[in-house]
Amino acid sequence: MDYKLLMNTAVLAGEIMLKSGAETYRVEDTMNHILHLASLHSAESFVVSTGIIATLSGGENKPITVVKRVNERETNLNRVYRVNSISRDLCEGRISLQEAWDQLNETQKQLQYRPWMVNIAMVGITASFTLLLGGNGWDVFGAAVVGALLAAFMYAAGRAELNSILKTTAAALAVAVGTLALRQFIWPALNTDLVIIGCIMPLVPGMAFTNALRDILYGDYTSGCARIMEAILIAAAVAVGVGCGISLFHWLGGVM
Amino acid sequence: MAAQVIGAFFASFCFSLPLRVPGKYLAHCGITGAVGWLVYLLILERGFAVLMAAFFSAVVIALFSHVFARVLKSPVTVFLVPGLLPLVPGASIYRSVYYLIQNQGSLSSYYLSETLQIAGAIAVAVFLVDTLFRLVKKK
Repeated sequence: MDYKLLMNTAVLAGEIMLKSGAETYRVEDTMNHILHLASLHSAESFVVSTGIIATLSGGENKPITVVKRVNERETNLNRVYRVNSISRDLCEGRISLQEAWDQLNETQKQLQYRPWMVNIAMVGITASFTLLLGGNGWDVFGAAVVGALLAAFMYAAGRAELNSILKTTAAALAVAVGTLALRQFIWPALNTDLVIIGCIMPLVPGMAFTNALRDILYGDYTSGCARIMEAILIAAAVAVGVGCGISLFHWLGGVM
Repeated sequence: MAAQVIGAFFASFCFSLPLRVPGKYLAHCGITGAVGWLVYLLILERGFAVLMAAFFSAVVIALFSHVFARVLKSPVTVFLVPGLLPLVPGASIYRSVYYLIQNQGSLSSYYLSETLQIAGAIAVAVFLVDTLFRLVKKK
């Protein structure tokens, strides 16, 4: 068996999963399953939310250790799904190691949805969250309009390759100004509080916070604390954005 | 209430796209989210605390996700993450930091504790159901 390829396959699988937002313990689990295919006496993987260390030793081979730093993360459940089924196929002997390696590389290139579909979904998210929070028909409509603004803004910010924290703040600012302007000029009875909260839902780190506590429950304290920090930072970015937006609007209103 | 449950369905459904859920599972994610939110609203209506409502609806969502995952042979996360999204304390954590900036300390700590309660309840619920399914699998 080609141990080097096995190691690379395991690390690539782990890297894709970690980047795509899988839980830390699940990444370790998958990597260990793949590494144990070698049936050497020592195969360990250590995963934290910002990187992977894996080592394989035993027999007459020199130990192999790989360190992989993972910088950017973006939830992509399709990739988690693909890696899961590839590693299952590999471990049950349905595909060879080389095939698994090729399929993993293929997975990274797949584009699941076109950008315009995601943008339309963004409008759907803001509208349906406002509905879920108890908004009336007009609030939902207003949220859809502000959601379209948000989607356009995120798209433009993505094009400009803005830093993600800055992008979140700017988007939250746009949401606040957009919602207040909508109430001021078009629909005075708008529940701005509901609409703003519905519209910042795509930005806000509720899931990150919950996953952080889940990591901690599973004993991954390092990842858990890192994710809590991340969640607080994002929440602060959103709150600063909305706060600045509201102040800015009132200040401009005062001038006009 | 029906409108809110429909809202939850579409919230989970639409959120599945930026989360890149495989296309064939979008409806399953929507159903998981809607059922969870229905349970949440029903428990709140009986006059129980938000903590209890979050816990039990997270249990139901986790059960649904595990059943879908077993039947459709895919990882639990695919259904769990979109399903939990309506429930997750995004608004509370935002409000907590927002009032902190506004220099309203007591409101800020109120929402911070609400965030911790909801997120903790969800995490424990998911952990419990995970453990339960693992026990069943071993036997």
